[in-house]
Amino acid sequence: MKGRISRYVASFAALSIAAATPLLAAGPTSQDLLNDANTPGDVLTYGMGPQAQRFSTLAKVNVDNVKNMVPAFAASLGGEKQRGQEAQPLVYDGTIYVTGSYSRVFAFDARTGEKKWEYSARLPDGIMPCCDVVNRGAAIHGDKIIFATLDAHLIALNRHTGKVIWNKTTSDYQAGYSATAAPLIVKDMVITGNSGGEFGIIGEVQARNVDTGELIWSRPTIEGNMGTLKGQPNGMTGKLNASWPGDMYKTGGGATWLGGTYDPDTNLIFFGTGNPGPWNSHLRPGDNLYTSSTLAIDPDTGVIKWHYQTTPHDGWDFDGVNEFIPFDATVNGKAMKLGAKADRNGYFYVLDRTNGKLVNASKFVMQTTWANGINLKTGRPNYTEDGRPGAPSGTEKGKVVFSSPSFLGGKNWMPMAYSKDTGLFYVPSNDWGMDIWNEPIAYKKGSAYLGAGFTIKPIAEDHIGALRAMDPKTGKIVWEYKNKAPLWGGVLTTAGNLVFTGTPEGYLKAFNAKTGEELWKFNTGSGVVGSPITWEQDGEQYVAVMSGWGGAVPLWGGEVAKTFKEISQGGSLWVFKLPKG
Amino acid sequence: MGKQATGIGRRAFLAGGLVALAAPMPLSAAPLAKVRELGTLRVAVYKHNRPWSWAEPDNSTNLRGIDVDLAGAIARTLGVKLDIEEFTAGDDMATDLRNAVWRGGLLGFKPADIMMHVPFDRQLMVENDQCAILAPYYRESFAAACGPEQNDCDVPAPQYRGRRMAAAVATIPDIYLLSSFGGTLRSSVTHFNTGHDAVLALGTGQADVAVATKAEVEAAIFDMKNPAIHPRKRALEAMMSPGWDIGMAVKENSRSLGDAVEGIIGKMSADGQMKAIFGAYGVEWRPALSA
Repeated sequence: MKGRISRYVASFAALSIAAATPLLAAGPTSQDLLNDANTPGDVLTYGMGPQAQRFSTLAKVNVDNVKNMVPAFAASLGGEKQRGQEAQPLVYDGTIYVTGSYSRVFAFDARTGEKKWEYSARLPDGIMPCCDVVNRGAAIHGDKIIFATLDAHLIALNRHTGKVIWNKTTSDYQAGYSATAAPLIVKDMVITGNSGGEFGIIGEVQARNVDTGELIWSRPTIEGNMGTLKGQPNGMTGKLNASWPGDMYKTGGGATWLGGTYDPDTNLIFFGTGNPGPWNSHLRPGDNLYTSSTLAIDPDTGVIKWHYQTTPHDGWDFDGVNEFIPFDATVNGKAMKLGAKADRNGYFYVLDRTNGKLVNASKFVMQTTWANGINLKTGRPNYTEDGRPGAPSGTEKGKVVFSSPSFLGGKNWMPMAYSKDTGLFYVPSNDWGMDIWNEPIAYKKGSAYLGAGFTIKPIAEDHIGALRAMDPKTGKIVWEYKNKAPLWGGVLTTAGNLVFTGTPEGYLKAFNAKTGEELWKFNTGSGVVGSPITWEQDGEQYVAVMSGWGGAVPLWGGEVAKTFKEISQGGSLWVFKLPKG
Repeated sequence: MGKQATGIGRRAFLAGGLVALAAPMPLSAAPLAKVRELGTLRVAVYKHNRPWSWAEPDNSTNLRGIDVDLAGAIARTLGVKLDIEEFTAGDDMATDLRNAVWRGGLLGFKPADIMMHVPFDRQLMVENDQCAILAPYYRESFAAACGPEQNDCDVPAPQYRGRRMAAAVATIPDIYLLSSFGGTLRSSVTHFNTGHDAVLALGTGQADVAVATKAEVEAAIFDMKNPAIHPRKRALEAMMSPGWDIGMAVKENSRSLGDAVEGIIGKMSADGQMKAIFGAYGVEWRPALSA
């Protein structure tokens, strides 16, 4: 209540200063974005705050009344592009902005669901994205909605009209680059990562002027490559050949395909990096820095302040892009600035976010065959003997190794949430493993190739997906909710003691944040793989999520596919609230 | 007018495919007759695959290469127009066959009647039963070439140690150089986008020894016209692949078209056309073992 009043006062002050231009027409500033977690009347950032805790202070919908929640409206994205809706919506000034699969953006009236405008990027025929045609969300700043496209463009649209303001190529799609993550806006800069399915790319973080799209700095993630600042060289990432042989650092991987988070307290942005290439780890002895890591970067200069590598010398395609969420807690009587990451490799890491030192690491999945815990002194995994897939060689089919988690990870792209009220992280995870073997007679681009064969398979009778509440101080799992099909959507938690997440079976579900008791569910008609949000409008609390099955999971068949073979495709925004009266 | 007709035909064909999915039944359309009726043969070739298929200049629609010329000869013999399009290679052949032949790309790449440059391999046929792999037209293998600093190209491969090596990233030649002989060549390998580029590096002084496919080696040497660049004559020790046949793919239900193409390739092999097409790019035509 107090926050509300002071905000009104602040708006009034701003209005009287800039009397000529109404505040809402001007649009949110970088300062508004920083404050997003404290303004429940809007959702201005991917993650509902720069730290991406996905926590709302709203409690009008709570454990006692969530069972009464009903749809307010639904809005279809239309067309034939019913596929993989992984986006998180934004809400501002009576409008819901959401990105759709195939690089589309929609603006809907937040009260009625009526479509205001739609923008559909013209994509070249020739792009063949590796992992479906998803997009995870947009950014808002001033009069602009900014999003990334499958052909690696960054596009700013006028948020009132959907018309293009600027359109920049961030990397060359012809060389295998793509983009699917929501941009991060810090200090009037749009900060983005990159993605690419083909071998030979290297990860990069770029900062651009939000008004013009011009490049301010770039930071490659692989040691030996040069960063830039205002068009000038700005120092090498890491040290040349310290952890890569020969010229392999030029094609070493480490894509930053999931975007980043920002912590104003330490003035650091955090980006996770992807797996190293080539896939066969025996060809690239060394830690292969900074792949499968979290990087802390100074947003003003693009210089790396610290790094923490979750899977040194990654040989399992785990990659380490998962979001790093800053939070504060008291550990052993000491107030600490921390951050947490649930990694593809199955471990939940808590780091000191001022310096990247490991504080705590614990398993959040049923089984990790590749390592037996993380050494808290060295910060490195205790690798299991024989846990690493072998080097393909000769013409014989290699022995089959069982490895868990599978390369789709203990947790994939879908973001977790942190509740300031319960002090728990809510992690959307999956329990699955893979049989992996050398494939001596494989082909790629029409040529003989030494590949690896794999089959992903469940490791439990009753579930693959598991939503888990983790206590970051103890590393203990406080409760878990098991789901038959793999979980592939983001999580939201609220001061109403609630946790929301979607399932491929089509449900948006609400759980008691303290106990995990399932309190409410609604079937949206297609799989839910997007991230839910909540906001307040006209005195009522609303909850919204995208529905539309897709993403990387349906691309892999086998035993796992049985859990979702009846799920239909879709493409809709669903909005819920409590009935009036 | 012809283009419009093609579009309608293809949509009708897709609709037929959906019906077949719902209730399995043989499709009545005869693909060869359809190609003749529409007057267009649509062929998919790999992007950046010199000397087989590439755009000159890069990113233009002017396609060149052995596969491009072969496709042209097939269309001519069938008496139809050639509609040829490049596509980007995926992570494996199953992806390429899906995108180029039997389903099409998710972003609008229309499935082709024929995809060139598909390994003629039994396992690949079994795993990809939505298409038919046929008409093997070349026997490919891996080879090496040397620049002026490595006069004797035929030494045992471990003796290349200390020389600057070149290969295309993430290919068998790359894995061969990075992993063979205890990894002793690993730190001196320079990576290129294609095997053709790797061999060209011998001419620009960037490398002393390049490993690539035989066609890439021969074509690049031919393109450089530099007598100091010479091929290795002996087989590479401990090379992982003994070689493979290259053919084409058509949709599973397009065997009538496939049969016609096999007939055309057979005739071109006998009358010297194959030799001439390959020879124009400096590549010696080697008939497929299974032809």
